[in-house]
Parts: sequence; C-alpha cells; structure tokens
Amino acid sequence: MALSDQAQLLEKADPALARYNRQMLWEPIGIEGQKKLRNARVLMVGCGALGTVLANTLGRAGVGHLTIIDRDFIEINNLQRQVLFDQQDIADQLPKSVAARRKLAAINSDVQVEAVVADVNHTNIEQYAADKDLLLDGTDNFETRFLINDVSIKLNIPWIYGACISAMGLGMVIRPGITPCLRCIFETAPPPGMNPTCDTAGVLGPTVNVVASWQAMEAMKLLTGNIAAVSKSLFSFDLWDNRYQQLNVSRAREIADCPACKHRNFEYLTGKFGSSATSLCGRNAIQITQPAGYRVDFPQIAAGLRAAGEATFNKFMLKCTIAEGPADNRKNFELTLFADGRAIIKGTNEAAVAKAIYAKYVGS
Amino acid sequence: MAIKIRIPTPMRQLTGGVDMAEVQGATVAALLGQLCDKFSGMDKRLFKQPGELNRFINIYVNDEDIRFLSNLETPVKDGDDVSIVPAIAGG
Repeated sequence: MALSDQAQLLEKADPALARYNRQMLWEPIGIEGQKKLRNARVLMVGCGALGTVLANTLGRAGVGHLTIIDRDFIEINNLQRQVLFDQQDIADQLPKSVAARRKLAAINSDVQVEAVVADVNHTNIEQYAADKDLLLDGTDNFETRFLINDVSIKLNIPWIYGACISAMGLGMVIRPGITPCLRCIFETAPPPGMNPTCDTAGVLGPTVNVVASWQAMEAMKLLTGNIAAVSKSLFSFDLWDNRYQQLNVSRAREIADCPACKHRNFEYLTGKFGSSATSLCGRNAIQITQPAGYRVDFPQIAAGLRAAGEATFNKFMLKCTIAEGPADNRKNFELTLFADGRAIIKGTNEAAVAKAIYAKYVGS
Repeated sequence: MAIKIRIPTPMRQLTGGVDMAEVQGATVAALLGQLCDKFSGMDKRLFKQPGELNRFINIYVNDEDIRFLSNLETPVKDGDDVSIVPAIAGG
C-alpha cells in the first residue's frame, strides 16, 4: 500500500492525527510515532531564542505536553530571533513562558502547555523534571545547563544541549548511562566574563534556528523511539564560515573522570557549585556570588558591555549602568562587578532579574 | 609544517577578528604554543596552566578529540584539520 493511502487510513482511524499527515508519512514516525509524540511529556528550560524555536517546532509536531519555564520578559531586541513573540506581547507585558503558551494555544490546541514564570535553580529543578520523558535546553548560561545535566543523570532522563553565539552553534544529545554527559565534554564553565554572550557579541537568527531545529529533530527521534537515528556526536557549526562538523565524543565517557556521570557527584544540583543570589536588605539590590577561585577580566568585560552602556573600571571593580525592560517601562540597573566575579546589581530586589542581567552581560 | 587553525567566533576578540591562523609545528602543543605567541590573551583562554588545557576548551584533530589520541602531544601533519571548540553558552 502506498504511504499516502496508508496515511489516509491512519487519519480515518484517528481523525485527531490528520493535521500530522505529512509528518506521519515519514515512515520512521508513522502513526505509532505520532501517538508516542502525543503522549510525551517534555520540559523546556528557557524560552528565549532556542526555546521559542523548540516550542514552536515541537508544539506544531504534536508533542502532547510541554512545560515551559522562563524567568524573563520580552524585549524589542528579542523579536529578531525569538520566533513565538511579537510586538503585541511586549505591549501586553507578558512573561516569555506565558506569551509562548498563548501562541501555542493558537497554533495547536491539542498540545497542553504549562507555563511557569520562575528562575530554575537547584532548589526547584527536580520537581519540574521528575515526570518528564525529555529535558530540553533553551537556556543562555552554563550554570543552568550543568544543573539540567545533573538532574538528567540523577533521574535518568535524556536531555539535549544546544547553544549558540553569533554564527556558531553546538548541540549534543545526552542519554544517561549510554552517552557522555555535558561535563564529560566541558567539565567546567569558563569564568564569568571570559566568554562573550549573545548580549555582548550578538547572535544571528539563522544560527538559533539551526541549533534549535537540530535539537527538535533529535527530540522527535528520541520521543518516537528511533534511537538508532539519534546523534552520537557533538554537532558544531559556523554558518558564516560554512563549516559543519560531527565531532567524535564516543570515548569521552571512559576517558573523562566525570564528577557527574561517573561519580554521581551532583555539584550543581546540590548547590555546591553555581552562583548564589542574595537580596541586600533595604538597598533595592541583589548580590551574586561565585564559587571561590573565579577571576574576571575587566577590560574584556568592559569591551563586551559597550553596546549596553559605558563601563568604567579600576583594578578592584567595574561599574556600568544598563537599561533593561520593555520600551515603555525601561529601568536602569547599576552593575558593580568585583574581581572575584561577585556582583551587586542595583535596581531590583528580585534574584531572577539580577541573575538574568548577570548571565546576559557577564556570563556564567 | 604549516597548519591552518580556524579561530572560533567567540575567541576572535583575541585575534582582532582574524578567523584563521597559520602556525607551524609537529604536535598540537607546538601549534597552540605558536598561537599563544601570536595573540595576546590566547594562553589564558586555552590553558589552565602550562601543558594543561582549560576544561571548557576541547581540541579536535580531524574531528577526533585529542583526549582520545595523545592529548597535546598528538602529532599533526600537512592537511590535518585542527579545531578549537570552546564551550558556548548563548541561547
């Protein structure tokens, strides 16, 4: 029987699946795969550039239950690449996860979307991940990625790493106990300020789309049980330089003395590693501290901050005023950064806001 | 022998925007040593201490992680593709 005839029969058997006809025609998915997608529960951590492409793609593909967590609101400079958002969302002052749920409801009402406005951290990630089939990375910082990595291994749930900057992207599928984990590949994060971020060096929409589309495809393979087709490499590309690589990481698990997947020492999930945020009473400010041993490079950070505001520094500290927020409600935050990576962010009492500013402009 | 190393975008601030560097050497260590001599700040980005790469930097020769080969002593020859892959966080 021709595939098209088969798909028509499938639709008659289950009319709710008719909208996925073109997807079910792809034999490795078919009706059984589509049903698996419908029953799948996926946690998406972060709903910015990567996260919106992931939510858009997987929502349209019929993944039955998406939990989307994000701590941020939408800004006009997000619209260049964050495909689920528009100017009305900014006018409505919607948090990202809520705006994403609204869009997905209009695109595919079959999909249940749970929108969570929260900062994902070591105290809450386990509760969000516990009943999921897959964890997806839509974050913008290493700390949360290492947290996802820890919880994935602890709960034995696969996750898909994706990251990008300018025209460069990376991606990797992590299957606990089977593949290397992220810390087998990158055991530590660069110290704050060493690596540029999308907010200091820029990022192009097509880069985001390629990384997140690759993640979404791997997610569909995993969720439909097409395990043999799942990538076993570290996917690396630079769209500007037309360079694409599948880097061999197959032996990383045996070679790396990985604290997470080899020793099951979950340093981020237990809160041993990672930054901590403390409200400075009465000062409308949050202090962010880093683990001992961090050193930051002020000239490099000041150069990266040029687009956000003029930074001044001496050998002890760097100061910069950064304007953030919706156009009609823009607020100034004063960033004071010390040589050990500690920062005081003045202008908010909310840890999530301060951590977002730190991740954007200093990096973590 | 001369080998071309592509500088990944997040590290081009150290090279003044230069995207490709030609360096000489018979091992990865020799190539990276020359790269550090050419560009100020590169040593700090690549190495935790002399002879030890930072754990947020991976080096691949022809798409193979040098940790699976002979690490920094991995030999290189004309035509080899040497890639620096830094951990990146954007998204």
